[in-house]
Amino acid sequence: MKKTLLIALVALTAFCSVFAQAAQEATNDGPVKFSMYYSDNATLPFKENWLTVVEAQKLANAEVDWEIIPIADYSTKVSLALNTQTNAPDVILYQTTTGENASLAMNGAIVPISDYSDWTPNWNAMVEKFGMQDDIETLRLKDGKLYYLPSLTDVPFYDGGLILRQDFLEQYGFDAPKTYDDLYEILKKYKEVNPSSYPLTILAGPRVLYRMTMPAFGLSIGKNGAGGSRVLSWDYSNKQFFAAAVSDEFKAYISFFAKLYAEGLLDPEMADPIDGGIWSRKMATGASMATWAYYDQIGGVEAASEIEGFKLQMYPALAGPAGAHHQQKNRTGSGIMFPAKTAERKDFEQIVRAVDKMFFSEEAALLWCIGKEGVTYNMVDGKVEYTDEIKNSAEGIYKYMQLNYGCGSDVTQMIWVNSREMTKYDENYSQINAAVEAIGDVIQYIPPTPKFDDDSAEEATTLMTPLADAFEVWCDAFLTGKKSIDKDWDAYVAEMQKLGIDKYCALYNANL
Amino acid sequence: MPKVKDTSASSKALNVIIYAVMVFSLLICIIPFIYMVSLSLSSPKAIINNQVRLIPKGINFEAYRQIFTYPNFFRAYGNTIFYTITGTFIALCMTILFAYPLSKTYLKGQKILMKMVIFSMYFAGGLIPNYLLISSLHLTGTRFAMLIPFAINQFNLIIMVNFFKALPQEIEEAALIDGIGYFSILPRIILPLSTAAIATVGLYYAVFFWNDWFNGLIYLNTKQYPVMLFLRNIVNGTMVLGDSSSASTDTATLSISIKSAVIITSTLPIIVLYPFLQKYFVKGLTVGSVKG
Amino acid sequence: MGKRDVGRDINGRSPLQRHFRRYWQLYLMMVVPVVYFIVFKYIPMIGNVLAFRKYRPGKGIFGTEWVGFRYFKRFFEDPAFWRAFRNTLSLSLLNIVFTFPLPIVFAILLNEVNRKRFKKVVQTISYMPRFISTVVVIAMMTEILSPSSGLFNQFRVNVLHLQPVYYMNEPQYFRFLYIASGAWQFTGWTAIIYLASITNINSDLYEAAEIDGAGRFQQIFHVTLPSILPTIMVMLILEVGRLLSLGFEKVLLMYTPSNSSVSDIIDTLVYRTGLTNQNYSYATAIGLFSGIIGLVLVSGSNKLSKLLTGDGIY
Repeated sequence: MKKTLLIALVALTAFCSVFAQAAQEATNDGPVKFSMYYSDNATLPFKENWLTVVEAQKLANAEVDWEIIPIADYSTKVSLALNTQTNAPDVILYQTTTGENASLAMNGAIVPISDYSDWTPNWNAMVEKFGMQDDIETLRLKDGKLYYLPSLTDVPFYDGGLILRQDFLEQYGFDAPKTYDDLYEILKKYKEVNPSSYPLTILAGPRVLYRMTMPAFGLSIGKNGAGGSRVLSWDYSNKQFFAAAVSDEFKAYISFFAKLYAEGLLDPEMADPIDGGIWSRKMATGASMATWAYYDQIGGVEAASEIEGFKLQMYPALAGPAGAHHQQKNRTGSGIMFPAKTAERKDFEQIVRAVDKMFFSEEAALLWCIGKEGVTYNMVDGKVEYTDEIKNSAEGIYKYMQLNYGCGSDVTQMIWVNSREMTKYDENYSQINAAVEAIGDVIQYIPPTPKFDDDSAEEATTLMTPLADAFEVWCDAFLTGKKSIDKDWDAYVAEMQKLGIDKYCALYNANL
Repeated sequence: MPKVKDTSASSKALNVIIYAVMVFSLLICIIPFIYMVSLSLSSPKAIINNQVRLIPKGINFEAYRQIFTYPNFFRAYGNTIFYTITGTFIALCMTILFAYPLSKTYLKGQKILMKMVIFSMYFAGGLIPNYLLISSLHLTGTRFAMLIPFAINQFNLIIMVNFFKALPQEIEEAALIDGIGYFSILPRIILPLSTAAIATVGLYYAVFFWNDWFNGLIYLNTKQYPVMLFLRNIVNGTMVLGDSSSASTDTATLSISIKSAVIITSTLPIIVLYPFLQKYFVKGLTVGSVKG
Repeated sequence: MGKRDVGRDINGRSPLQRHFRRYWQLYLMMVVPVVYFIVFKYIPMIGNVLAFRKYRPGKGIFGTEWVGFRYFKRFFEDPAFWRAFRNTLSLSLLNIVFTFPLPIVFAILLNEVNRKRFKKVVQTISYMPRFISTVVVIAMMTEILSPSSGLFNQFRVNVLHLQPVYYMNEPQYFRFLYIASGAWQFTGWTAIIYLASITNINSDLYEAAEIDGAGRFQQIFHVTLPSILPTIMVMLILEVGRLLSLGFEKVLLMYTPSNSSVSDIIDTLVYRTGLTNQNYSYATAIGLFSGIIGLVLVSGSNKLSKLLTGDGIY
């Protein structure tokens, strides 16, 4: 009885899979058909009928079988597909060759797309147009090949930074802060007026704070440090790595924030995970007045606050000992990858050409950024003018275009032109960006990834884990005053040296 | 309850303890849920300003409306219900078919098989070998990938074996003497005696299939995804794996009311399942009825 | 082994043929499940060879070279591993001592509730926390214990006039919070097994106890507990076998640099060194090690249980 059912089930399964295979074999001369992994974010759920998605397929004469995968699990799914090559899609969005992908590429799991550069004319042209040949060079792996088509940005922009209560600054006659010392004065005043507050709070654990503020002190380490080494930073003048975790730069950095902590100016509630909701609440209720976060988060907090005159403003990067710098950014971003299996398809060339056209052509660049003329915008005197529906939407142009048309998603938009992006933001945002650009070199490039082979990569990660663990513990202890920076610094440096930070640094520099 | 009333002082004291413990458990278990219902019905503004307690403030159904507009939400929900029902059914059949013979210690090889079961609890093969197996069986991309590989859970199997062992042997022996084979004894005598065990193991399986998102993620296509995968994405977002340094992961926070609404919608159906199973937990009923 | 007492159950030394003639239906029943076990549980076990090979992503399990005990050596020589090992053991043991008895007590007490409606309500509600995902449980805990807005600290500050405590970040509270939240989440859920077990108790036993003049306390200790003892033992043996595998998700969510001295367990160490750095071989080696320990613990506690209660899981 039950067994017959099971046998029937198994038979049915076999039958189904045969059928599915037969369907896949059938090819025709119509649009090129391929499957594609898409990383889906719950705040921006993918819709197959988005204007951009429909139009991009028309543009490239392609029929895409979208595999929509939740962002939290995207890397698992991609890793399995590439590791096993069974059930891998033809195209994968939102990838780079850092981490595991580098060894996957070196072991032949990924198509070296630079071998087929004749088939990517649009991407080549954009690289040329933005003058990004050098940036692309740094993405090549040890064998000198490029394994994905990265997204391209002409001028990186300042989308997050120091956010303060502008109404408070005005009320007490503060100018916009320029240095970390200015900020200290402001925080101190707020604490004086609101003794129960913690003026500076942080979003999503200390990692956002660290990565946004460390560059001004000449380093970038920790969980989200630029380059992923956790304890090393890039020396921009000598073009090599140094052991930043035990440097004077770090000592200066942690001393500053330890001072804030000791004086009750820095919110002690900073362990991961910090929910965005708690962060919004602290800002909106005045429990805090300063934070490092993203521009698009301001609106939600302002709308919710019941404090009279509540106004948040984002400020350009503050100057620290190493100058005014913000979190590093590359002009290239995650992009498109082809699993090795795709190259075995007869229509591989058509697929590559279609992808190139769909994401990197001039038309595609416009489509994924601002939509379609006559539908989302019109050109008035050579300027982009969005339709009234978009302009007057409550969410703001950027969010509205994302949700309703699929424009401006970092998964699918591959060409970022700064001036074009600015049309989607308010005047204020453009002004801040202009101010940042005027300071110059605020956003430095991300240090190059060493070209490890499998063995040196293993050695590096073996060294990294204990170093990163020890650093995290000490960093937290210094910040919160559990360890004294004056007294315990040498012990800390000795521990890091015992764990091989110098060897680790040498390994990085040797593989550049 | 067939017991005669015990009216001694110690019994009364026991009653006080029991009711105190029960009311306490009731409260600590239900308050978070009431709070979440209340959050899901409150306005984001009231939540941000810390005004929501156990009663919703600024009541609206926006959060629920928004969840229901997620593309494919209802299809995913349907998928989950399908996986839960068929998965539990298959798993119960397989588990009972294995557990019943395993409960007979006189069978040859029973001990070896039992050890084999336990051994397999400690040496799972890992993600990639499992994936390769499922795909070489051509199960990937079919709904059976969610059902067949998980047909027997060793823990549930052991529980079941243990229950079968505890059943009185006399009835079975009487049936054997009457010339009834094991194929008939199992459904006609054993199963009616084991309703509580079947309900328990069935519930454990149902909850497993209801909550399983990982296997759906790795083996299935978008159209076959269970609802938990979507909901997990909304509730957890990038919190667990929030090591990324990109802006989108740190700002991708949905409003608390949506998260709460998601928790409510995703757990309600499986929670209401339990009261339906409770009739199988009535003490003494089954054994008594057979004897009588 | 195991063959000495087989087939002696009913007819003494019946010949093999008679045994199979009598029980062939039982053997036939097992065929499909046994095949299932071989295919779905045993074939993937081949993957464990990765512990002795250097895995190269994209090359499959066999496109790699043997490295012997290299990965085992690596973690045996790693002081962080031994710290994690100690942390895992203490957390697990505390977990067993404190959370294991709770569902038993709860089930027995619940069984003594006379009002049926109330009993049903308690039963249903007590298993609800099982359905809240770990992430949400930790988020709620963070919220309740928050030094700035949490209920606990508001009470401390406003009523007791004490300094707020950042419970989630202080190492001395980690174990308590881990165990308490686990108890909250799973007591009602695990109690279901014991309730089912209590259901199976023959009501004659209670009647007999009643006639002997046993009060409710005596009935609990002389009828209920002994009757569900086999279930308790099975659960305990299985629990002991899981001593080294606590799962990384929950601890990872509660992990902070501050409390890492107590919160870093084997599973989080594997997660950090093995999975986030894609070192599958290392992760497999530690998994294999935990598996062996688990197996030893299970067979040991099974033997002990047989010695003490005459019953085990096999």
